[in-house]
Amino acid sequence: MTLSVHGRAQSQVTRRQFVTTASIGLAGGSLATMLAARQAPAQVRGTSLRILTWSHFIPAYDTWFDKFVGDWGEKNGVKVRVDHIPHLEIPARMAAEFAAGAGHDILFNGSTILTRIYYKTLADLTDIYDQIGKKYGGWIPAARSPVDVEGRIYGIPIYYILLPMIWRKDLFDQAGLKPPDTWELARVAARTLKAKGHPTGIQFSHCNDANLNWRSLLFSFGGTETDPSGERPTIDTKEMREALRFSKALFDEGMTPEVFSWDDASDNRYLASGIACWVHDAISAYRTTESTNPPVFQNAYIGLEPAGPGGKRVSVSAPNAFMVWKFSKNQAAAKEFLVHLMDNDKEGMVQSTGYNMPFLNDTAKKPMPVIGADPKLQVLQDFPKIVAFFGYPGPYTTQIQEVANLFVLPDMFTRVARGQGVDETIKWGVGEYQRIFAKHKRA
Amino acid sequence: MTSTSQAGDPDTKSVRVAVSLAAIPRSGGWFHSQTARRLGFGYALLAPAALYVTLLVAVPFLFSLYLAVSDASVGEQVAGFVGLENFKAALEMDTFWIALRNSVVFFVAAAILKSILGTSLAFLLLQNFRGKKIVRALVVIPFTLPVAISVLGWKWMYDSQFSVFNWVLSRMGLIGAYGTDAWPVWLGDPRLALIACVLVNVWRTFPFSAIVLLAGFTSVPNEVLDAAKVDGCTFMQRFHHVVVPMIFPILMVGFLFDTVFTLSDLSVVYILTQGGPGNATQILPVLAYQIGIQAGNLGRGAAIALFLVPLLAPAMFVFLRNLKRREY
Repeated sequence: MTLSVHGRAQSQVTRRQFVTTASIGLAGGSLATMLAARQAPAQVRGTSLRILTWSHFIPAYDTWFDKFVGDWGEKNGVKVRVDHIPHLEIPARMAAEFAAGAGHDILFNGSTILTRIYYKTLADLTDIYDQIGKKYGGWIPAARSPVDVEGRIYGIPIYYILLPMIWRKDLFDQAGLKPPDTWELARVAARTLKAKGHPTGIQFSHCNDANLNWRSLLFSFGGTETDPSGERPTIDTKEMREALRFSKALFDEGMTPEVFSWDDASDNRYLASGIACWVHDAISAYRTTESTNPPVFQNAYIGLEPAGPGGKRVSVSAPNAFMVWKFSKNQAAAKEFLVHLMDNDKEGMVQSTGYNMPFLNDTAKKPMPVIGADPKLQVLQDFPKIVAFFGYPGPYTTQIQEVANLFVLPDMFTRVARGQGVDETIKWGVGEYQRIFAKHKRA
Repeated sequence: MTSTSQAGDPDTKSVRVAVSLAAIPRSGGWFHSQTARRLGFGYALLAPAALYVTLLVAVPFLFSLYLAVSDASVGEQVAGFVGLENFKAALEMDTFWIALRNSVVFFVAAAILKSILGTSLAFLLLQNFRGKKIVRALVVIPFTLPVAISVLGWKWMYDSQFSVFNWVLSRMGLIGAYGTDAWPVWLGDPRLALIACVLVNVWRTFPFSAIVLLAGFTSVPNEVLDAAKVDGCTFMQRFHHVVVPMIFPILMVGFLFDTVFTLSDLSVVYILTQGGPGNATQILPVLAYQIGIQAGNLGRGAAIALFLVPLLAPAMFVFLRNLKRREY
């Protein structure tokens, strides 16, 4: 059956189109009303919601989060359950839940962002993304990249984790060194202080920090990973060559071969042991020294991302997002919960002791919770405008995810540090990138 | 049959049934014969085992084959046929060849070490000494511990800064001090890293080899060994010409399991190095996991994992053929 207005043949609406449009309109209207009223709709009551998230590096945050979820569930009559697993296990769990078509309603993605792989099975969250953004002054520029697929949003970016420069002011002062505000100054410091028994270290190994740190250096040197569309790798550049040569010099002059074996926590231990003159790591490295080595804690300072030769600063961070399965039977409650979580963005930042960095502009305004009040950490407030993610300046695509999973970029830096020529390394790296990109294109 | 099922006294009934059964081949064909019934009963008894093997081995294997020739992704409900494209893509990867080479080195090195250590331990456990039962129980601990926990323990022991091995060796004057070039970085040096991974695999599974061998050794009758001794055989001659032939089937089954455990071991390398540094410890199972699950390309991950089959198949063939020959 076709509903049509005679004389206006070009405007025909089928029954199916009518029902679909009406449903979307009704759902959108309900959500808007629900969000405005700040109360869950009646159909959410009596339902259940399962959340899969990681075990946060700050355990106190998990304690707060579990209680926060429980309180929300109690208030809205929703039976909630939170499961915490190590973040490295999330891709396998997500694959299993996808295959089974059942599991949690809300899922966490951290560091490994799988939006573009699963977006067809993820609920479209564009409506709440836009509304949250509107309510809190918009999202920072980098927020969209991990959750956007062809203009639609399939995840709510909840926070990102920074890896700033953490340096030992006492050691720098003793040697008359300037703070490591540029990569060159950081190199000079590493060279000077290694001779005094205080080398530095960045992972030349297969771990996430290696993926993040070497990209920060590369991008600050003016290099890029893909073109803005994300379709073409752009690593065969003069800037890449400079970054590789610089990393070789940094390794030779300021590091020890330990860095080839490091994992994500090794630099934390290196700083806590009192040996490192500086590390480029998440602030958990600094925080943990408060209890493990108080003198180091007193003398450790946080710096802005070091600038490259052209003065550019790009900080590659680890994004974290929550997604909702399309097969979730309780999408309304899931969306309602995510809105509530972002309404309490500042509180989350407080509970993480400033570890969680905000994606929302209003939360990112100075002074930020916790870090705005701590003179040593205040510099972190300047990061939102220089934050980037894998694939920069392109989006966080599936091919970039595979490049990251196979540690191609850190391996390029490792090869050069071990003595392979820059041109030979670039040739190898370009081959790996092109092979991965070509396979995805064919697929 | 229907005629024999009429009421009557029990004796008459059974006689009628017997007569009726004998008459079936003529009236009901082969499917109603006694042979068919016997075969049917036999297959019925075999059915649970066959079903078990089909569900747990054949179906997953066929499913991996299906994935390997498709463009399946972890996020797609449907997959298209791509022929041998995934195998071709794997062969084009530098990392694949490194992983293949490392897998073979890993397997051969581990097999040699496990044979030596397993045999030695089995002989030691054969001896009579005080606390033998406790020692027997203790040696299987590495095999029974959850792999994640035990390998994390090893990761600490291999730590570049706090390695207990290095501190002991350094105190003994066998290596240099921390911070010098003579301080080994177990998981950072490409050769040492692979050796370190092999050692953890050997530590975890050689007790299994020892237990299998021990079971075999204890099954050899003392009279046979005594007779060989009287004939003047040395220890090695007895081991080579008497013990090994007698426990050969057990040895083969042990090797079979061990080969599968070693070649498919994902956890040790994944937890220790994730295939690094610079792919120095990359092996096929880890590469398959990184591409298939973490990067979401199930098809290519399955194709890489299936390259284990040509590695395993010749070994399986040799083991099983030898085993079969010995049975006759």
